[in-house]
Amino acid sequence: MNQSPLIDIQHINYTYPARNSRTGELQPITALEDVSLQVQQGEYLVLLGHNGSGKSTLARNCNALLTPTSGRVLVAGLDTSEKANQRTIRDMVGMIFQNPDNQIIATVVEDDIAWALTMRGIPLSLIKERVSSAMEAVSIAHLRSLPPHRLSGGQRQRLAIAGVLALRPQCIIADEPTAQLDPLSRGEIVSLLHQLNQQHGITIIQVTHLLEEAALAQRIIVMEQGKLVMEGKPASIFANLEQLRQLKLAIPEPIELAARLRNVGIPLSPEALTVEAIAQEIMP
Amino acid sequence: MKEPIIIIKNLSHIYQTNQSGPLQKAALLDINLEIAQGSCVGIIGITGSGKSTLVQHFNGLLRPTSGTIIVNGIDVKAKDADLALLRQHVGMLFQFPESQLFERTVYADVAFGPQRMKLARHEIRTRVLNALDMVGLPHREFAQRPPFELSGGQMRRVALAGVLAMSPAILVLDEPTVGLDAEGRTEFYSYLQRIKQEKDVTIVLVSHDMAEVATLADWLFVLHDGHMVMQGTPRSIYSQGDALRKWGLAAPPLSELLTLLRKKGLAISRDVFTLDEAFSLLQQSRVLRGSRP
Repeated sequence: MNQSPLIDIQHINYTYPARNSRTGELQPITALEDVSLQVQQGEYLVLLGHNGSGKSTLARNCNALLTPTSGRVLVAGLDTSEKANQRTIRDMVGMIFQNPDNQIIATVVEDDIAWALTMRGIPLSLIKERVSSAMEAVSIAHLRSLPPHRLSGGQRQRLAIAGVLALRPQCIIADEPTAQLDPLSRGEIVSLLHQLNQQHGITIIQVTHLLEEAALAQRIIVMEQGKLVMEGKPASIFANLEQLRQLKLAIPEPIELAARLRNVGIPLSPEALTVEAIAQEIMP
Repeated sequence: MKEPIIIIKNLSHIYQTNQSGPLQKAALLDINLEIAQGSCVGIIGITGSGKSTLVQHFNGLLRPTSGTIIVNGIDVKAKDADLALLRQHVGMLFQFPESQLFERTVYADVAFGPQRMKLARHEIRTRVLNALDMVGLPHREFAQRPPFELSGGQMRRVALAGVLAMSPAILVLDEPTVGLDAEGRTEFYSYLQRIKQEKDVTIVLVSHDMAEVATLADWLFVLHDGHMVMQGTPRSIYSQGDALRKWGLAAPPLSELLTLLRKKGLAISRDVFTLDEAFSLLQQSRVLRGSRP
C-alpha cells in the first residue's frame, strides 16, 4: 500500500447551475461536497447510494468526464482539470454506462471494438490482436460478425466493455451497468467485472444502488447527498442494515434473514453476504 | 374462484411480413389462460418471450392470428368488436409511461381520458381528484403543477392516475417500474397494493423481475419464446428455481436461498415463502441449534 493511489480525489466539490422551477432563477446545486477518496491500483471498489446521492457524479469525476469545481483529482498523478491530460486519463480510466447502446457505434461487433483503436492510429496488426483478446475476455468472440442490434442486452453490455478493454485501461468505471438487464444477465455482468479485476488486474469502480451487487467488492463507499457517509469492507457495511435502510437502500431478503438469525443467537459469519455463502453457513 | 374476466383459448399470433417463409415469426403459440375477476396476475418472461405481445391483445391493439380471446364479455377477434368500449374496460400503462404525459398541469393530464369519455364535469373532477389521491399525489399539492417538474417516480404515478381515472375493469401494467430506483419501486408498488385492495379492478402485471411481482400477484404465468411454459401461485413457481433458470429467469433471492438449503438436505416445506416464514422455521431448526452449541 506504499505505492501512490491510481485515483486520488482531494477535497473536491462539484456544483452545477440549475433553474429553480418556481422562480426561474439559476441556482447552484451541490452534487458533491468535500469528497476525498483514494482508489488503489487493482482494487474493486463499489460506490453505493440511491438515485441522486451523487455516486455517478463522483464516478464521472474519476476520468475527467466532469472536473471538480474545487479541490483536485489526480489519476496516476495527472490532474484531471488540465485539458492536456484528459485524453491520457480517459485512455487509462474507461467507462461503461447503464445503456450500452449509447457507446456502440459501428454496424458489426468487431468493428465497434476496433473503432477507438483506429481513431488512435494504432497499426492494423496490433488492432486485430487487441480486438481478439478483448472479445475473448468478455466471451463474445462467437458474435464477432453480427450487427450489435442482434445482440441481447447482456451481450451488448459485454460489447461495450470490450470496446473499453481494447484500449488496455488500468481502470474501468461501470456506472449502473446492470440497470437495464434481466436478473440473470445482471449476475453475469457483475461476475465478468470481478473476473477482469482478478485475472487482468484491472481496477474496477462499480456504481450501483443494489446491495447484492456490492457483496463481493473489496471496499464499499456509501454516498448520500453528495457526501461519503460509510466506508468499509462489505461485511462491516452490511452489519448496519438499519443505517442502509435509512439511506433508502433496499435490503436483499437473504441478508435480512441472516441478520435476524444472528440476532437470535445463531452464529452466522458476517462475511456471508451472498445467497450461496449464507446457505453454506446455515448448512455447512 | 370468481368468473374469469379474460378467457384465452388456443391463441396464436404470427407477425406477417410481406414475404412468406422464414420471415414469418410466431410471437405467441397456442396460449390458453383464464384470469379471474378481481385477481392480480403476473406475466413473466425474458425479453422477447412474447409477454408484451400477449397483453396487447387484451385491449385489441393486436388481434390474434388464430384462437379466441374474450375480455370482459367482448370478443376481441370479432370484426364488429367495439374497441372503443374495450379500451375503456382495459386501462393500459405502457413502459416508461411518463413519456405519454403532455398536458400543462397534472390535473389536465389525468382528466384527458375521462374527458374523452364525455362524462359530466363534476364526475370528471371527482374521478381526477380521487385518482391523484389514490397514487399518493394529494391533489391540493399536485393538481396544478406541471407534470414535467415532478420526479420520475411521481410522473409515472401521474400516468397511472390517468389510467385509473377511466375506472377500468382491468388494469394492465407493462414493466411499470423499469428505470426507477429502489425507493421509487417500493412506492409504486405500495400504491398498486392499495389500488388492489380498495378498487374492484383486475390487475395484470408484466415483468421480467420475479421479486417485483412476488408481493402482489396471486397467480403467475411464465412465457418463453411465445409458449406458456409454467403457471401457478408465486409459492409454487418460486420453489422451482431450476425450471425458472431454464427459461432465463431467476427466482427471488430468498427463494433461491431456500432452494439451496433444501438441496443441502434441510427440511423446508414448499409452503415456506416469506421472510417471516423462513425466519421462524430456521430459528427453531434443530440442525442449526444442534450443530452450534
